[in-house]
Amino acid sequence: MKTVTLGDYKRRMLRVLVHIQQHLDEPLPLEELAGVACFSPYHFHRVFKGMVGEPVKEYVRRLRLERAAQRLKLSPASVIDIALDAGYESHEAFTRSFKSAFGMAPSQFRMARGVRFVRVPSGVHYCEPPSKRFRTLSRGGRMKVEIKTMKPMRVAFMRHTGPYDEVGKVWDRLLTVMGKDGYLGGNPMMLGICHDDPEVTPPAMIRYDACLAVDDGFVPSGEIGVQTVAGGEYAVTTHTGPYNQLGKTYAELLGQWLPRSGRELGNSPCFEVYVTDPGNTPAEELMTDIYAPLKEEEAVR
Amino acid sequence: MTTAVEEKLDLFKGNPEYAAKTKPALVKTGPAVYLAVDGQGSPDGDAFGEAIGALYGMAFTIKMTRKFAGLGDYAVSKLEALWPEMDGNPGADKTQWKWTVMIRTPDFVTAGDLTGAAGVLTKRGKGAGVSKVRLMRLNEGLCVQALHIGPYDEECKTIAAMKEFAAKSGMKFAGAHHEIYLSDPRRVEPARLKTILREPVKKG
Repeated sequence: MKTVTLGDYKRRMLRVLVHIQQHLDEPLPLEELAGVACFSPYHFHRVFKGMVGEPVKEYVRRLRLERAAQRLKLSPASVIDIALDAGYESHEAFTRSFKSAFGMAPSQFRMARGVRFVRVPSGVHYCEPPSKRFRTLSRGGRMKVEIKTMKPMRVAFMRHTGPYDEVGKVWDRLLTVMGKDGYLGGNPMMLGICHDDPEVTPPAMIRYDACLAVDDGFVPSGEIGVQTVAGGEYAVTTHTGPYNQLGKTYAELLGQWLPRSGRELGNSPCFEVYVTDPGNTPAEELMTDIYAPLKEEEAVR
Repeated sequence: MTTAVEEKLDLFKGNPEYAAKTKPALVKTGPAVYLAVDGQGSPDGDAFGEAIGALYGMAFTIKMTRKFAGLGDYAVSKLEALWPEMDGNPGADKTQWKWTVMIRTPDFVTAGDLTGAAGVLTKRGKGAGVSKVRLMRLNEGLCVQALHIGPYDEECKTIAAMKEFAAKSGMKFAGAHHEIYLSDPRRVEPARLKTILREPVKKG
């Protein structure tokens, strides 16, 4: 049986890092970057953040700025030309970003001596030729994760499109409508499927399904639909704390635990199971189980 | 998932009756209404589990039915239980333990709400134990209360401290031992379980 190793994950991620540096003048959409490393596009941004230590968009932006910084030092090009090359449409916008990254305006930077890049977790900065090494975070390598085998699960759901922190409204509606008909008896599983990452997708466009496990007797109607959550193996870990901190645990699970697990992610979204009732639990004690779908292990030949 | 924005009735949060610290203290409690199930058997046994399942099923079905009908919203409170023998000598045989498990509920909830919810749950095939859920009024008055952190089996230490505190205050225990479960024992390790212990007291 072939097992995917941490080395494999690192090699694939390095391909992405090199690809980014070689194509800084291009838009670099997520799907393209995921494809470079054969990562599932569903999960790529979380794997990236977990392994590299910063969100992929942030990483691309930083490398463009660092390249600009190097050009300021080494080339006679004008600040506005360098700004345009870095993807900025105006001198002002470039100066603002540059200042927040390097603590001084581009023109000052050009004259200054001994300036250094800000430290980043991966240790990767813009350089020619591109760096062939990077540090992966490893804290999550020790997180408590259980592999669970799930049967396919039928769920009633309502879709929310909008900011993640407003999903409470759709839960309120779903639980009221289902609850009056007795569907909250027997402690049914309540889960959320987030089709987009709140850290990547603009808030107004985030799609989220509030789901309640139901049996075959449930007939969908009106605002409530039915879908089946795929069965199979899932890596499951528990996030304890406020819902707005879930992103950290996702990144740790997918970017730090996963590369050390010998497994790969399946091509379906993650979901989160709400263990505690936010109606009577303080935010810091809220428990949420994160389920990440795993690809079937290849059979022994 | 976040809680609803509008202010809703919460009998638990901010209520001084549920603000216990590890040090025993006197607390004045008012009359309270609960959904309750009486039973006997080990807290690890099936009867106890079924009673809790029925209570939660009823609590949420009643809440959502009233909310859907526009009768207002409220938070479902934490699980509580009375253990009438626990303040004395409960005995080693847990199968003989008597208990009442309960969830506090607003006093506007009616017997009719219970009948309706039990009917809906039974129709849905989730009716196990729901007919045993009743409305119960409790007025414990003055109580000694303390927060116990740790396994349920080690409550005796906290109870002893409460008894000593009661005696120093010129009081003695005078009612059923009452527990309010702040943690879920299926998910929280025993050493970190938080439970409020409450003992009604009277002068003596």
